[in-house]
Amino acid sequence: MRTPRADAVPPRIMVLCCPQLCGPDAGPQAARWFERVITTVTGFCPDVEVAEPGVCAFGARGPARYFGGEAVLAAKIITAVAELGVESRIGVADGMFAARLAARQASPASPALVIPAGGTAGFLAAQLVTVLADQDLAGLLKRLGLGTLGDLAALPAGDVASRFGAAGETAHRLARGLDSRPLAVRRPADDLSVAREFDPPEPLAEPVVFAARALAEQLHEGLAARGLTCVRVQVRATWADGTDNSRRWRHDGLLTAAGVADRVRWQLDGWRAAPGDGQYAQGGIAVLLLVPDQVVRATGHQLALWGEAVISDRAARAAMRVQAMLGHEAVLRPVPGGGRNVSEQVSHVPFGEKREPPLAVGPPWPGRIVGAAPGVVYPVPREAEVTDEARHLVTVSGRCVLSAAPAWLVVEREPARRVTGWAGPWPLSERWWDPAAARRRARFQLITDDGRAWLAVVRDGRWLIEAGYW
Amino acid sequence: MPGLRDLLPRGALARGSVLAVQEFGLLCLALAAGASAAGAWCGIAGVPEAGLLAAVGAGLDAERTLLVPDPGTAWPQVVASLLEGCELVLLRPPAAAPVQVRRRLEAVLRRAGGVLLVAGDWPGAQVRLRVITQRWTGLGDGHGRVRACCAEVTADGRGEAALTRTRWLWLPAEDGGVAVADPVDIPVTDAPFPRPAAGLRAVSAG
Repeated sequence: MRTPRADAVPPRIMVLCCPQLCGPDAGPQAARWFERVITTVTGFCPDVEVAEPGVCAFGARGPARYFGGEAVLAAKIITAVAELGVESRIGVADGMFAARLAARQASPASPALVIPAGGTAGFLAAQLVTVLADQDLAGLLKRLGLGTLGDLAALPAGDVASRFGAAGETAHRLARGLDSRPLAVRRPADDLSVAREFDPPEPLAEPVVFAARALAEQLHEGLAARGLTCVRVQVRATWADGTDNSRRWRHDGLLTAAGVADRVRWQLDGWRAAPGDGQYAQGGIAVLLLVPDQVVRATGHQLALWGEAVISDRAARAAMRVQAMLGHEAVLRPVPGGGRNVSEQVSHVPFGEKREPPLAVGPPWPGRIVGAAPGVVYPVPREAEVTDEARHLVTVSGRCVLSAAPAWLVVEREPARRVTGWAGPWPLSERWWDPAAARRRARFQLITDDGRAWLAVVRDGRWLIEAGYW
Repeated sequence: MPGLRDLLPRGALARGSVLAVQEFGLLCLALAAGASAAGAWCGIAGVPEAGLLAAVGAGLDAERTLLVPDPGTAWPQVVASLLEGCELVLLRPPAAAPVQVRRRLEAVLRRAGGVLLVAGDWPGAQVRLRVITQRWTGLGDGHGRVRACCAEVTADGRGEAALTRTRWLWLPAEDGGVAVADPVDIPVTDAPFPRPAAGLRAVSAG
């Protein structure tokens, strides 16, 4: 990183401020308008930092030389922004802080205030301390008789730091015309998506798939030229009636243009009313858009030597066809993992994504239920009632003392089952350090007279069936 | 799986056939696990509550398993797609299947050479399996834990499967797999706690 040096030439910063678009009364449309302002400004200078809503800054030295002076550049930008219907002010100075003050002080009559090079110290010295963001400090300085930034800058830096701490030191630096950090500019994002419009809307799938192949080639070229690849590719088809359908497909830089075209075909097939029917109910496709999702640097792809089970082609095709019909998250692969609850021990990952259990299998999970695994694990536990002989609800105290032996089990609205064997309670208090994930429960195994076994839990005084053994 | 083989005609799942199991449970998972252990891909459609840990214990390879928990209204198309990629598809139809849908899926099944395992009713299934009774062992009155289950499974069907066969199986056995139950080990219904079968045999053998 470059460190600013005392003898270095101070940067010339131009700050553009739109009074209508900053402040609390700007309204929800302000962000959209300001985005358009920035697009206009990037026409003059590509590296623009958005300082806060309605305020942006950029280095003025280069563009000013190109356009023939800072005042000329400022006038051009103000005219261009005014064409959008937005009023703006511009301040130019040696440093961000001074430039923002200058922009704030520019009047509607002369919307650009240029502090000449070297004149910034004098400009700042005349400012009142109330311009500082830290109003508490400004009040204190004022009561101490330091009315202007010039008075503050005249004090030795060490004394200011020892009396006022970090806030005072920052204010002192600003008063001397030194910025806290260099400008952080944003590069305009490259739009890597590719689109094709069909006019009139295309009622048949084949021409769209054919176009998709060319689009995919265009997309790959765009990515490759920047040394990038995408993890997923989003295919979005807009129909003639205005509805649109979009799906994300796993890409990983492995799909060829033909592969992408295949996925477009499957996706379009999924929306056809019935297989074999050539026409679309929505009246044909108007726009086909391919968007690279999660763009990453292309580092090449190495197939694993061992370990990675190779997905057989047939199964992969079947899985992707179903994904085309129901969506990416509809086809899952199970990943056995660790955990104390039966529902945690198998996690589901969408087909095509990396298989990694969220909880590692390796560490011991004291408190997990050992013995046979249940054949039925409810994704959402079922409501139940466990009662004793007298049909009173069985309760578990905080010290895991049971009110009575369980005798009857009623699952949701099913008829009551006689409990013939039971074990528990096995208490489990998990993640007590995290209030959002903390769980306290007591677990039971019950056998009923129909030969079934149940995994029941008591949570907050309620009985729930988590799993069934049958 | 030796225990399940006895129940099936010719001792194996016939390619292109439909098996119907009365209710989803360990028996379905064990049948799928048996096929998966032999190298087949398994698709499980319409069963969001499938206890895959039990299936993995019985031999299911999670690497070669596809789950479609909610196939929605287009489930016949989903199942047809799955049948083309997986040798065994376990399906619990979200709704009763009309005759035309069944015929179409059976045609896909014969062409792809897979096995359709239906949890529920499927008129025309070659083999129908049913768990008549099951008894869990290992749980007492306030102590113990569920260890193994002794289940009486019956199979009938059409054609060569018409003969009704009934077998006692450990479903699952203590190691999670499926085994034939020795009549000596079958727990008595009325006894709340099973006899320590292994111990008894050791005494009689000695």
